[in-house]
Amino acid sequence: MTQPLLSVRDLEVKFFTRRATIHPVNGISFDLNPGDTLGIVGESGCGKSVSSLALMGILGKTGKVTGGEVIFEERDLLKLSNAQMRSVRGRQIAMIFQDPMTSLNPVLTIGRQITEVLRTHLQMDKEAARKEAATLLDRVGIPSAADRLGDYPHQFSGGMRQRVMIAMAIACHPRVLIADEPTTALDVTIQAQILDLLRSLVAEEEMALVLITHDLGVVAGVCERTNVMYAGRFVETGTTRDLFERPQHPYTLGLLRSVPRLDRPKTARLETIKGSPRDQTQILTGCSFAPRCAYATDESWAETPLLREIAPGHRVACWNPVSTSVPAGSAEQGGHS
Amino acid sequence: MSLAEAEAAVLRTDEPSGLWKDAFDRFKRNPAALVGALLILTFILIAVFAPVIATHDPHAQVGNLSANPEGPGDGHIMGLDKQGRDYFSRVVYGTRLSLLVGLVSVAVGLSLGVLLGSLAGYLGGWVDVVIMRFMDIMLSIPGLLLAIGIVAALGRGLVQIMVAVGIVNVPVFARLLRAAILGQMDSDYVLAGRSVGVGGWRLLGRHILPNSIAPVIVQATLAMATAIIDVAGLSFLGLGPANPSFPEWGKMLADSASRLEQGVHLVFFPGIAIVLSVLGLNLVGDGLREAIDPRLKT
Repeated sequence: MTQPLLSVRDLEVKFFTRRATIHPVNGISFDLNPGDTLGIVGESGCGKSVSSLALMGILGKTGKVTGGEVIFEERDLLKLSNAQMRSVRGRQIAMIFQDPMTSLNPVLTIGRQITEVLRTHLQMDKEAARKEAATLLDRVGIPSAADRLGDYPHQFSGGMRQRVMIAMAIACHPRVLIADEPTTALDVTIQAQILDLLRSLVAEEEMALVLITHDLGVVAGVCERTNVMYAGRFVETGTTRDLFERPQHPYTLGLLRSVPRLDRPKTARLETIKGSPRDQTQILTGCSFAPRCAYATDESWAETPLLREIAPGHRVACWNPVSTSVPAGSAEQGGHS
Repeated sequence: MSLAEAEAAVLRTDEPSGLWKDAFDRFKRNPAALVGALLILTFILIAVFAPVIATHDPHAQVGNLSANPEGPGDGHIMGLDKQGRDYFSRVVYGTRLSLLVGLVSVAVGLSLGVLLGSLAGYLGGWVDVVIMRFMDIMLSIPGLLLAIGIVAALGRGLVQIMVAVGIVNVPVFARLLRAAILGQMDSDYVLAGRSVGVGGWRLLGRHILPNSIAPVIVQATLAMATAIIDVAGLSFLGLGPANPSFPEWGKMLADSASRLEQGVHLVFFPGIAIVLSVLGLNLVGDGLREAIDPRLKT
C-alpha cells in the first residue's frame, strides 16, 4: 500500500493550567488520501477542534502535544520548527474556522488578506496576486469578485465571509483542508450552499477534507468516512453509510437517536444521551463512556477498549457493541464481547 | 439576479468605508472635537507662519528696559516685557517651541512605548514580566519628578527636556498597548491568520497592531497636552531650554510670576496660550476616543 497523504498516529494533547492538567485528546489516529472526505463528529468538548489545531501547530500557549506523530509527505509535522511549520500552514494544510464573522481581520480589505497568503507562500508579485485573488473569489461564488477586493469584512454577510475564508484557505491549492464547524454559525440555506461549495472544491482540487462538526446531517451529506469522537478518543470509525446504518458503539447510536426526524410520530420525545461529557482533568481506566452507557459491562469499567475491526473498514472501541448485545438491563447477565 | 448578487448590489451602495473612515465620520459629527481641532490647527498655522504673524523680532529690544513694562498698547498688541521686547512676537514664536516639544516628546514616548508594549504583549512570558515590572517602577515615580531627574542626569537643553518628558510617557503607552494586544491575541482572525501561515513579526505588525493601536493614538493626543504642560512646568522650575532668551511659554510665566502686580499681561498671554493649546489637544483626544471606541458606536 502506498503512503497516505497525511497520517496521524496516536496524537495526544494536554493543556497545562495552574489548577489542573486537562486531557482533551488521548491518542487518535487516522489516515487521509487525496480526495478523501473524513468527518469527525462528537459533542462539544470532545477534542475535535483541539486535535485539528494541534496538527496545524497552532494550539496556543497552554496546549501541548505530548505524544504521537503527524506524518505529511514523509515529515513529522510535530517536529518541524516554527518557520518550517509556517510554510506548511496555508500552503499544504489549510483550515476554515467556525465563525466567519470574527475570523477576518476587520481593518484590512479582503483583497489584502487574500493576496497576503498568495504573496507569502507563492511569492507572487502584487499584480499577479490581485488577479489570482479575484479568480479565487469568483470560484467561491462571490459576485463581481474583482470589484470587491477593496471591501472590508464588515461589508460582507456571514455566508459571504465564509466564502472569503474558503478562498483564502484554497488559495495555494493545499493538499489537506480542515474545516472546523464551517457552517455552524450560518443559517440552513447558506449552510447547504457552503457545503456544496466545499464538496465541489474538494473534488476539483483533489484535496483531502477533514470536516469537524457536531452535526450528523452535515457529515451524512459530505463525508465518505466518519470518525466518532468521545472524550479525546475515536470510539467508532468507518464509512459514513456503515455508521449510520449499523452503528456499533452505544455513543454513536445515542447520537443518531438524538437527531430529530420527520418520520417519527410528532408525539414521540426526542431521545437524549444521559449525563454530560466526563471531567477531562484525569484519565480513568475503563471506557470513558461507561458512566453514560446502557450497554456498559464490568469489563467497560475495568479496561479501556481499543478500536478493533468489527466488519471490513468498520472499527469500534467497545466491549459490548450494539449488534452483539441486547440493550439495557439484560446486558449485565450477557457479558459477551 | 440571484440572491447573492442582489445582496452584493445592496452592499455596494454604501461607499467603501473602513474602521478609520467610520471613525472620521463620527469625529466630524462631534462639535467639541471640531472646536479642539480648530484650535490645534490655528496653533499649527501660527507656528508655521510665525515670521509673518509676529510684528517684531522676538529677540530684539524695541522698547525701554523697565521693571514696569508697558502693557498692551499702540504697536504692541500684548505690550512689552522687562527687556523691552515685543511680547506678542515672543508668544507667537513660543508656539513653535511648545508644539515642537509636544510632538517630539510624544514621538519619543510613543515609539519606545509601542516597542516595549508590543514585545510584552506579543511575546509574553518572562519578556512581559521584565518589561512590565520595569514600567511599574517608572509609574511609581511622579511624572514631573522623574522628568526632573532625567533632565538632571542628561543636562539642560531642549533635546534633553523633550527626551525626559517623552520617557515619562513610555510606561503609559506600553501598558495601554500591551493590554490591547492581549485582547487581540485570542481573536479568531489571529488564529485564522496563523492557520494560513502568517506568523512572527508580520502577524504582529500587519494584523495585531493595527487592531490595537486606537487607544494608543487617543492617548498620544492627550499626552501631547501634558507634555506641553510638563515642559512649561520644567521651565517654570528653571530647568527649561538652556538659552534663556528663547521664548518658551513656561519660562515666560516663570519670569513674570513674581511680579504679577507690575504687568498682568506678562502672565496672562503665555498662560492663555498654554490653556488654549492644551484644551484643544484634550478636546481632540476625547473626540478621537469617542470616534474610535466601537462600544460607543451609535
